[in-house]
Amino acid sequence: MENGKDIADFAVNYGVSHGASYIEARVVDSRDESYASRNGIILSGGITYSSGIAIRVLANGGMGFCSTANLAKNTIEDVIEEAIKLAKASKRKTPITFSDEKVVQAKWKTPVKIKFEDISVEEKQKFMIGIDKILNKEFRFKLPTRTFILDLYSDEKYIVNSEGSKVESENSIISTVSFNTAKGKAGGEQRMLNLGGTSGWEWIDEENVVEKILDDNKCLVKAARNAIETNLNEVDVVISGEVAGIMAHENVGHPSEADRILGREGAQAGESFYLDLIQKGNLGDIKIGRDEVTIIDDPTRPGNSGFYLYDDECVKARPRYLIKKGMLNELLLNREYASRYNTKSNAAARAINYKREPIIRMANTYFAPGDFTFEELFEDIKTGIYMKSFTEWNIDDRRFQSKYVGLEVYLIENGEITDTMIRRPILELTTFGILGNVDAVSKEFNSPHGYCGKGEPMQGVPVWLGGPHVRLRNINLGGKNK
Amino acid sequence: MIENEDFLKVAIDVAQKENIDEVIAQRIKGKTYQIRFSNSLIDNSKIWNNDILELFLAKGKRTTQINIEAPTPTKIRNTIVKASKFLLKLPESFLYNGMESNLQTYKKLDQIFDSKITNFSEKAPELVNAAIQTSLESGAKKVAGVLYFGYSKTELLTNYGNKGSYDGSYYRFTIRSFVDAESSGQGIVCNRNLSGVENKFIQVGPKAGEIAKMAVGGTQGHPGKFDVIMSPTVAANVLGQVFDGVNPLKIMIGMSPLKNKHIGKQIASENFTVVDNALLDNGLGSRPFDVEGTPTGKTPIFTNGILEGLLHNTSTSKMEQAENTGSSIFFDFGIGSKFLAPGPSNMVISGGNYTLEEIIAECKKPTIYLTSNWYTRFTNMMDGLFSTIPRDGMFLIENGEIKKPVRKLRLSDNLLRICSNISAIGKDVQQIYWWEVETPTFSPTIKVNDCTITAATQ
Repeated sequence: MENGKDIADFAVNYGVSHGASYIEARVVDSRDESYASRNGIILSGGITYSSGIAIRVLANGGMGFCSTANLAKNTIEDVIEEAIKLAKASKRKTPITFSDEKVVQAKWKTPVKIKFEDISVEEKQKFMIGIDKILNKEFRFKLPTRTFILDLYSDEKYIVNSEGSKVESENSIISTVSFNTAKGKAGGEQRMLNLGGTSGWEWIDEENVVEKILDDNKCLVKAARNAIETNLNEVDVVISGEVAGIMAHENVGHPSEADRILGREGAQAGESFYLDLIQKGNLGDIKIGRDEVTIIDDPTRPGNSGFYLYDDECVKARPRYLIKKGMLNELLLNREYASRYNTKSNAAARAINYKREPIIRMANTYFAPGDFTFEELFEDIKTGIYMKSFTEWNIDDRRFQSKYVGLEVYLIENGEITDTMIRRPILELTTFGILGNVDAVSKEFNSPHGYCGKGEPMQGVPVWLGGPHVRLRNINLGGKNK
Repeated sequence: MIENEDFLKVAIDVAQKENIDEVIAQRIKGKTYQIRFSNSLIDNSKIWNNDILELFLAKGKRTTQINIEAPTPTKIRNTIVKASKFLLKLPESFLYNGMESNLQTYKKLDQIFDSKITNFSEKAPELVNAAIQTSLESGAKKVAGVLYFGYSKTELLTNYGNKGSYDGSYYRFTIRSFVDAESSGQGIVCNRNLSGVENKFIQVGPKAGEIAKMAVGGTQGHPGKFDVIMSPTVAANVLGQVFDGVNPLKIMIGMSPLKNKHIGKQIASENFTVVDNALLDNGLGSRPFDVEGTPTGKTPIFTNGILEGLLHNTSTSKMEQAENTGSSIFFDFGIGSKFLAPGPSNMVISGGNYTLEEIIAECKKPTIYLTSNWYTRFTNMMDGLFSTIPRDGMFLIENGEIKKPVRKLRLSDNLLRICSNISAIGKDVQQIYWWEVETPTFSPTIKVNDCTITAATQ
């Protein structure tokens, strides 16, 4: 990294002296160790090291980006000159500008107790095979197809820009994916379970990962064997932190991204229905949900998958209150879009590696906890469903029309969760249909891990999307795909 | 003549000195450019200087795959020594049954490289701005999109002495035009060579603008059963989910609606014929050899609705006693380490006899015409239960005419049912490769009967 830092400093000086009005250089050294198994047999394993530099410039109002793994000075000079040339060639009528931000010199790192390199390859495989042995012993033919991936990613990063900011960081992310199929009377059910966090190997024990995977598969097998088709129409719905988290992410986090609102993702991930709202009112004055709804995106939560303390534009991170008591409160901003809104960035710029530009991303997005106990949420429900997990989901590119298909779902009758499982009920709801029907939020909290896809080329960043249990009133269940 | 044969030889030699049994060394070197634009202005221009050495090492049935960026002999030596030690700690993989060991020769694919690409960066911004301008002139109020272009040299050497190289070039351009926030249209153009690129850019902008104009005033559509006309873009995405599953590995792990028992059976409509063709002059997925050094070719997937077979590499062809189709790629699950498994090149759906206008004119039942879609997800991949979200212009057809634009609907259906309900295929075959279609797919307009359309309940 020391050589990389020198090169990054050199790149910034070179860019400034060759016509860039702004330049930032980001050097990233990363290590990615991963394994995949099927039914307890390792299919593959590998460790890939990556090292390279990203350079972003502003010149004549245009933006240019280049990256290379070749850190020789003459190569860096060439790519910077080409990036400046391309930026100038864009001939924008309105120049791209960045918000003024405090110049910082900072370091941050993910707390790690046990580095991935300090655990033997054999122990990592033993962990994977061990999980499968437990699942196979517990479920046998009921869970015939089991795919498991373990990914151990760590990086060191150095970002420097022409304004004098310098940020160094060390990050470490551990994650698992299990994709299993359970056999049942009415066919099979499938489940993709993502677990992860910013941590070292200690995460496996501290987060009871084996237990979580076993419990999740118990539910999968139970759903495949026991869930029944019903013709429920209008019901009250209690959703778990997992389901609330994906809704917070898809229906609120994404439309809050200022680059979407102002059209930059128009040909890719799409725009945002917030545009209509913001044109008619001001942040803080726009009612978007019931008073019970507060949704936060907070990168500063240690251990959560989207943890960071400075973003990839050297801006200090802080919690972002996207919705506060039902009112649209704050957008997700990087420096370019903060400038467009004549405000400061709230540090939402992230890039997954040195080959990608930093763009506006969520970090850890969740419904803020409320005052209800878990039991109180159900007390006055006459007929309803309790949706603990989901399978299929999607949402339109303005982030208004969403669909969540339940996997582990129980019938609620007369204030009690019954043993009756409902097969694949569908919440096909607009964002208003969700946020406008929330009337209670529980105190406790859950923290699922996931990957968020955005940008072109695609950047799948680790995020956390969780929260408390949330109650929605009078929901009409949606139509099925048969 | 392999320009950097020394690097590849170094890799093979070092690996063999480390007692590795089988080695693949593939170097891809070149440049990729991207111009992103939105609100009718260029947002960012990017250059990637690519130089990557992809290595596959096997010791018996133990395998690992690693990449070296900006390779040097020292990096190659150090990385292979480390990877060889790592490899010995891995267990044997039941999936690995060897790689191409016969000495092979390859077809020359001269047409997949156009030397004009090396200077294209000079005029690309002008062409993007011209496409934006023509779309605005056609009635769009704002335009977004992306242009990718680039070139690369791919060189391969294996321990069995199979060696080859090819040069490739490409461009792909997506333009999305908006008249208002909910009235949009998209156009796609992509190719290996730059012939007529100026006209193609100028024509695709207005095409997107026309769809956007037609979408103005759209209203909430009604859920229910409808016949659906899929544009080439939509057909490439939806049927592409089936093509992704033409893979023994994906069948094995439950990520495909296809089963081995489907092979040789009619599971799609009689008018449905598809091949995986790696040798097309203009195909963005064209290549003369796969990563093992097996020559590529043309593999029938569906013939008149009958599933002919799956894609295979050496290992899966041995496992399933099927023919090796030269389809080996470095495969992963999105994250995680890579290994050898089959993958597609260019999927080609045979065109039919109809124009889009004729397909529309023959619609006797209420029909929904989808021009684009995104976010296809599954309730159950083995069963093929999915939904996808239409975006851009979507239109209700009644009595053989486009009646009105509609909005806010979702196609919620089953992949195998869709395959067996194809009622008309257009002659307008077009190469589709964009954000939502990651395998280059030559696709026509396709009509499917009796699809389930759903909408938000509140």
